[in-house]
Amino acid sequence: MPRKLTPYLFVLPLMAFIAVFTYIPIVTSVDLSFRQWDFMSPDKPFVGFDNYRVLLKSDAFWNSFEVTAIFAFISVPIRLALALVLASALSRETFARRILRGALFLPYVTSTVSIAVVFSWVFSTDYGMMNGLLGLFGIDKVGWMQRPDLALGVLIFINTWRQLGYDVVIYIAGLQAIPQELYDAAAVDGGRKLHVFRRVTFPLVMPTTYFLLVISVIDAFQLFTLVDVMTQGGPAGATDLLVNRLYQIGFTLFDIGQGSALAVLLFILLVGLAIFKARVLGRRIHYED
Amino acid sequence: MKTDNRFLSGLALLGGLLFLAPVLYAIWMSFQTSTAFYTGRFDFTFGNYQAAIGQYHFARYLLNSIIVAGAVTVISITVSTMAAYAFARYDFPGNDLLFAATVATLMIPSHISLIPNYLTLADAGLLDTYAGLILPAISNGFAAFFLRQYIRGIPRALDEAAYMDGARPLTVLWRVIVPIAKPAIFSMGLYVFITEWNNYIWPLIATSDENLFTLQIGLAKLYRLNPGEGLINWPLVMAASTISMLPVILGFVLVERHLVRGITMGALK
Repeated sequence: MPRKLTPYLFVLPLMAFIAVFTYIPIVTSVDLSFRQWDFMSPDKPFVGFDNYRVLLKSDAFWNSFEVTAIFAFISVPIRLALALVLASALSRETFARRILRGALFLPYVTSTVSIAVVFSWVFSTDYGMMNGLLGLFGIDKVGWMQRPDLALGVLIFINTWRQLGYDVVIYIAGLQAIPQELYDAAAVDGGRKLHVFRRVTFPLVMPTTYFLLVISVIDAFQLFTLVDVMTQGGPAGATDLLVNRLYQIGFTLFDIGQGSALAVLLFILLVGLAIFKARVLGRRIHYED
Repeated sequence: MKTDNRFLSGLALLGGLLFLAPVLYAIWMSFQTSTAFYTGRFDFTFGNYQAAIGQYHFARYLLNSIIVAGAVTVISITVSTMAAYAFARYDFPGNDLLFAATVATLMIPSHISLIPNYLTLADAGLLDTYAGLILPAISNGFAAFFLRQYIRGIPRALDEAAYMDGARPLTVLWRVIVPIAKPAIFSMGLYVFITEWNNYIWPLIATSDENLFTLQIGLAKLYRLNPGEGLINWPLVMAASTISMLPVILGFVLVERHLVRGITMGALK
């Protein structure tokens, strides 16, 4: 075997998978987004931007966009604030802290379907843990998943619970990168704890905050499993996040053209965010190295 | 450390238990008869597990999950290690470009490929087969990206010594690089396995034949196809849920460090 070919043979299998299942699908999606098709009919007529036009005029799409934006806008700050406080408390290596860190991290590796099912029970009206707890204080049963104003909040709560440990672990890595001398200097100056946090910890951990901010927004725009298992977008569209909409259009209404149009829009948005992360944050995160 | 006394450990344990309370309670519930659940008493039983495994086919789903996540891990790590080795050790035209194309897969949301991949597999007659579940999941450049960085840290002198002894590239990869990179490969393998074990949207789309359901799909269907709210057999559903999450939880407790390493590396991509 000629030596020049060797590296190509090594990369070929991975490249073949990536080409067939990642890159070619992007082109196919764009093509399908300009066509009208229902999975069944033999021809797929070209309809130009019709699918995009219909999609961008539909209330369901804008509702989804709004719900997703609200989800991200509320859940991301909560996640980051909680995670930073916990990470500050848990960053030093002690046995006690390792236990707590492990417990916090566990939901992140646990199956999301299981989590969705467990929390469906927690928030179920008649036999759930939450209404049981509230009952101890004499509070009447709440229909958590039936009320449009509460269902999205419940999803935000569960997603925060699920992701918190991950955010904490990333924050801990960020905190450990802060040079100890800065804290020593602050201690010499007699800085109080809160003051040190505001003047030293918070600004220096900012690159990590930016990083987590962007990936949490990206996550919010990709959330599907919790929605599909728990609400399928209901009640009354209150939890109809964008990927759920995509799934509904594509795989329950079988409108391939419009589904592909939504996929392409989502793709542009998410790749934009990812490039922003890599370009802008990549530089900032490494400035301490 | 002085401050790490029993009091603090106790407090941490309590905090952790409180945080995990819903899951712990759900596991406890899975050992309860349904009549006891609704009357608030406690009757210990393995019956829910027997029903889930036997009557509701969770043994089959468990097997499917093991086959799919196992195959994805083995294939993905194999092709990624090979590619990573070439990227790290060979100067060949296209190296940078192909590597960039590999890394770029990390930015590409998988949802763009759902419909096209469904069509590809339908054309190939691979819907409702193991291959249909496994193949699309290999298309992820993360392990290759990560292993390339790791392999670059291994001194080239080791490769060269092996070449002097007349070894071929594949032998060098297998006998020199892989043994040294074992910790990294292990962390990546765990990461890939868990991600695939918990995968939901693709198996949901690619399977309609119950014999091919993974645990996640089986669980979602069992829960959803239960009669309406109030009539759900919660202890049964919790037993099924426990079967789906327990393997990963046990693995997590055993190899926490490796796992956290793999996942934080996943983050810092």
